[in-house]
Amino acid sequence: MRKPFRCTARPELKTSSLVVGWHRDTGNVAPMVTDFLNSSLGSRVFCEIEPREFFSFGGVSVEADIIQFPESSFFYNEKTNIVVFKSDQPNFQHYKFLNTVLDIAEQFCHVKELYTISGFLSPSSLHDSPRRILSVFNQPAFREELQGYGLEDMTWEGPPAISSYLLWVAGRRGIPGVSLWPEIPFYLGAHEDPRSAKSLISFIDKRFGLKFDLTGFDSMIQEQEKKITLLRQGNAEIDQVLKLLENGIPLDEEEQLKLVKEIYTCLKKEC
Amino acid sequence: MGIENIIWRNRVLGIKLHRHPKLKSPVMIIGWPGIGNIGIIAVNALRELTKAEELGEIESYEFFPPSKVVINEGLLEKLEFPTNKFYYRSIGGKDLIFFIGEEQPRRQATSDYADGEEAYRMANLVLDVAEKFGCRRVYTSGAAVSLMHHSMCSRVWAVPNTKHLLGEIKGYANTILMSEIEGRGGKGQITGLNGLLLGVAKKRGFDGICLMGEIPIYLQGLPLLYPKASKSVLDVFSGMLGINIDLSQFEKFVRQSEKNIEKFYSQIPSEMRSQLEKLKETCQVETTELKPMTEENKKKLWEEISDFLKKGSKGDEEAL
Repeated sequence: MRKPFRCTARPELKTSSLVVGWHRDTGNVAPMVTDFLNSSLGSRVFCEIEPREFFSFGGVSVEADIIQFPESSFFYNEKTNIVVFKSDQPNFQHYKFLNTVLDIAEQFCHVKELYTISGFLSPSSLHDSPRRILSVFNQPAFREELQGYGLEDMTWEGPPAISSYLLWVAGRRGIPGVSLWPEIPFYLGAHEDPRSAKSLISFIDKRFGLKFDLTGFDSMIQEQEKKITLLRQGNAEIDQVLKLLENGIPLDEEEQLKLVKEIYTCLKKEC
Repeated sequence: MGIENIIWRNRVLGIKLHRHPKLKSPVMIIGWPGIGNIGIIAVNALRELTKAEELGEIESYEFFPPSKVVINEGLLEKLEFPTNKFYYRSIGGKDLIFFIGEEQPRRQATSDYADGEEAYRMANLVLDVAEKFGCRRVYTSGAAVSLMHHSMCSRVWAVPNTKHLLGEIKGYANTILMSEIEGRGGKGQITGLNGLLLGVAKKRGFDGICLMGEIPIYLQGLPLLYPKASKSVLDVFSGMLGINIDLSQFEKFVRQSEKNIEKFYSQIPSEMRSQLEKLKETCQVETTELKPMTEENKKKLWEEISDFLKKGSKGDEEAL
């Protein structure tokens, strides 16, 4: 049977922690976190999953004027034993794809724990308030181990995200794991939320003792908040809607849509 | 491919049997979702009416993405997948195995029907279980979309996977072969696993028959159940297997669904309804005592109905 992956290097890791982030994440959190980890740690790519079996090839998508192609890449850093997997979500054979991810992580990196990152849209969270990180574990013992990191338990029933599926597959293979779901204010979901990315990076920083310089995120947060403040000053309707949210009053559908549209336009362009 | 679980690296893929009963030449009756869920409703009803017990299952992970996650206080408690279960029952000296698949494995999320390698593998796994218990005959069941009116009796179209079954099928009540349907010349297409499984069965030397209950063409694709067609399939199963089953509850279900269909039908604009009324004149001579329509007339009628549906969808979205 042909291997569904291609490796270009063989990391010498006796143990590792796998951090998984999916492209096109809510609030762009997972790409921001994985890109920051890879650039700050100087991680190198060592393996790619072949897209042939897992993605649709009816054409290619174009984003920001550029043709996109499915990417599923592993990066490693020998100093910290952190392995990062950045990927598009597969279209087909999800179970095989997720097992392939863990096959690679186990065989080449002796992975001992899994962290998945996905943004979680919150109807009440505000752009300038601290972000909670909701968490889901596949083993009670791992949940105990991560007490004290400020994670909050999630309770939910419904259609599963791919991160939950990966967490479940890891659990079946005896790999302890946690899905981390930082809250994203709903009106930032279509753009990006640097405050959520920073809260996630802060967790990883504390967990692995990395002492990251997070000033870049602080600048992004300040810049975003400045833009939203300017928008509020120039748009009384949006200011009023945000005041309702600040007072804990839920918005109706029309108000929500208006807020999402105006904030997206404001952050995408100069406003 | 044997009955033993297939191990690939750390994974277990395949079949889980909870029991190992000794069965004597059982027949296997298989149901998957499809048009109007006619087949699966019939097979599931037969399973319930015969009080069949769970025998085992095909593990779903390779075939389907999960449908639901249950997370409680920070712990992932459960991931649910569509089920693929086997049941068995000895009744009236006949041993029966049922297989009910909640979904057909498919490559394209937009398709309702099985295709690709997964579908072929699923068909083989079902037949592995049939083989394990000494079964040499399998039945699938689905829908036959027909130019008929809903007030008419649904016939059952039967398609075997081998010539020597043709004679037997001719003895089934209310059943027709493809060659008996005017204009078809014995040809047709059975979409998804109801067809594929019988093809794989043929390759592996199993006898197989697909029984398809007729559904009016204008009801296919609507969110209305049509158990009348399932009832026709059930009647064929019980007659063919020589088993007595109490269908009174199922008949209630049929009557209730007929009320829903009549309600829907009464809301169709009269112009359209008068077109559909003409379907009563189609080939079921034995029930209508009218002369069968010619193929040309049927084609013309369907063109008129299609045109009307197109017009209706533009002008009045609530028409259908």
